[in-house]
Amino acid sequence: MKTKGAITRRDFIKGTAGVLLSAGLGSMVPFEGMAQSRSKVILIRDSNVLGPQGEINEKVLQSMLDEAVRVLADEKDPISGWRTYFKKTDIVGIKSNVWRYLSTPAELEKAIKQRIMDIGVEEKNISIDDRGVKDNPIFVNSTALINVRPTRVHHWAGVGSCLKNYIMFVPTPSAYHDNGCSDLGKIWTLPMVKGKTRLNILVALTPQFYGRGANFFDRRYVWPYKGLIMGTDPVAVDAVGAELLRLKRIAHFGEDRPLDVAPIHITVAEYKYHLGVSDIKRIDIRRIGWKEDILL
Amino acid sequence: MKEPVLWPAAMGDWKISEGPTGYDPDTTFKYMNGAAELFRAYNMKNLNVLRYEKQGRSSITTEIFRMSSAENAYGLFTFENDDPEAGIGQGSTFGGGLLRFWKGPYFVSVYGDSAGKEIEAATLHIGRHIAVSIAETGKPPGIMDRLPVGGPPYSRKQSWFLHSHILLNQRFFISHANILNLSGETDVFLAQYGSEKGKLHLLLVKYPTETHADGALMEFRRAYMPDASGKSSVKTENNRWTVLNKSGRFVIIVFDAPDEALAMRLIKATDTALSKEDR
Repeated sequence: MKTKGAITRRDFIKGTAGVLLSAGLGSMVPFEGMAQSRSKVILIRDSNVLGPQGEINEKVLQSMLDEAVRVLADEKDPISGWRTYFKKTDIVGIKSNVWRYLSTPAELEKAIKQRIMDIGVEEKNISIDDRGVKDNPIFVNSTALINVRPTRVHHWAGVGSCLKNYIMFVPTPSAYHDNGCSDLGKIWTLPMVKGKTRLNILVALTPQFYGRGANFFDRRYVWPYKGLIMGTDPVAVDAVGAELLRLKRIAHFGEDRPLDVAPIHITVAEYKYHLGVSDIKRIDIRRIGWKEDILL
Repeated sequence: MKEPVLWPAAMGDWKISEGPTGYDPDTTFKYMNGAAELFRAYNMKNLNVLRYEKQGRSSITTEIFRMSSAENAYGLFTFENDDPEAGIGQGSTFGGGLLRFWKGPYFVSVYGDSAGKEIEAATLHIGRHIAVSIAETGKPPGIMDRLPVGGPPYSRKQSWFLHSHILLNQRFFISHANILNLSGETDVFLAQYGSEKGKLHLLLVKYPTETHADGALMEFRRAYMPDASGKSSVKTENNRWTVLNKSGRFVIIVFDAPDEALAMRLIKATDTALSKEDR
């Protein structure tokens, strides 16, 4: 029966939707008991990373990336930090995002690739891809993945997240649109992906905090935040990214203007798929660099 | 078949740099990934994409969707209509460099990728040119004009025509499951009414047959109002009323009415507005 276990508007009114969601998701233990306790996320900003026309300063971006990896790994120098996550025998797929209005900057892709080569990975064993990952031999045979994409609102998922960025690993992406793309975490359990992701990076240089429609960029709702959000836990990184966009909506509109859908997939990724921490209170945000209008 | 839509080869210094590239409902995914699902949910037939560029810098992207009907072009257009009217086609909005309009079975978007009066003028000009070249016109679904007025305040801007339960939930969440059995074959009308005691929503679903409507109603009763004991109304946990009715192949539901009598009046007025042909 289709309606068996259906979560309805009335469950939200009653305040029982969370419990039902948990049960429906197959988690048989209480939220807190199942949850990973805490997670660490790096938020690094530099006011000089963007020029007056929005052009990226490659040197500044490289140093932001290095410093974020160093602090994340708790190492004394960046290369040691990178070596915490990658070894020279790795086959590395860098999962990028090519959405034409707000893509992963080529400068960042280049900076990541450079550091992977600096620790000894051969160039032939590194690939940067988005829409072709499913059939890309480097990604198919990969031993390590880096997940890097811009943070923005998203019509189907609420926010364009690191979790969402792996949608191109499945043959029918639209099959995940139901219920606010709640099951995106499932993709992370597929053999091609499972356990391989060493770094998750949300590009917050120019995030988009509000939008309309499924394919429309809106420059009115983009601002030069000049940051990177990075961690090993994709759920925590996404939770921080979603919170940043929410706080910016409040700052801009004077209220949290609702999105087409709430980014429920981040919570579901924790409680159903156990991929990390979604509760912002259980995330240690290490803030590095420029603090003006930091919001978080 | 040649599309009866014309686009300008150039607009001032902006010249076509790419396209037109044609897509069908399946290949549209290659152009815009999962975003295509929104257009497919309104039964798109094809898409033509052109890009205009000015000296290799600013660009204007034009997307021309042919939908299965004018009703669907209207529904797609009105699903997002926050910005001011631009006076193009049969309905348009322009804001943030994006022009959107519908005319006949076409939904068109024209987007300039940088700010400035010159590129905005070019964007509007391209849109006007395309709109004029579309000979066909169409009408919104007739029932949109016959939804009850005169009761609680109702704004046409707060009413939507759609088919999919996922899109319905984006405007008014009912259930994560498809408890009304919505599909490409069902027409859904949602209207938000304001009242002194808060908002209420009127939902009208047209099914292919009365049998489909009966099945959906049974499913909805079971999932949404199991405590109604077979009645057509229930007081929900927020002390408001959900009331339903079936009229031929239509299902009419009022959500969150402040009192049962008001919900009943709205349902009766809606039922009266449905013509015999509708049923």
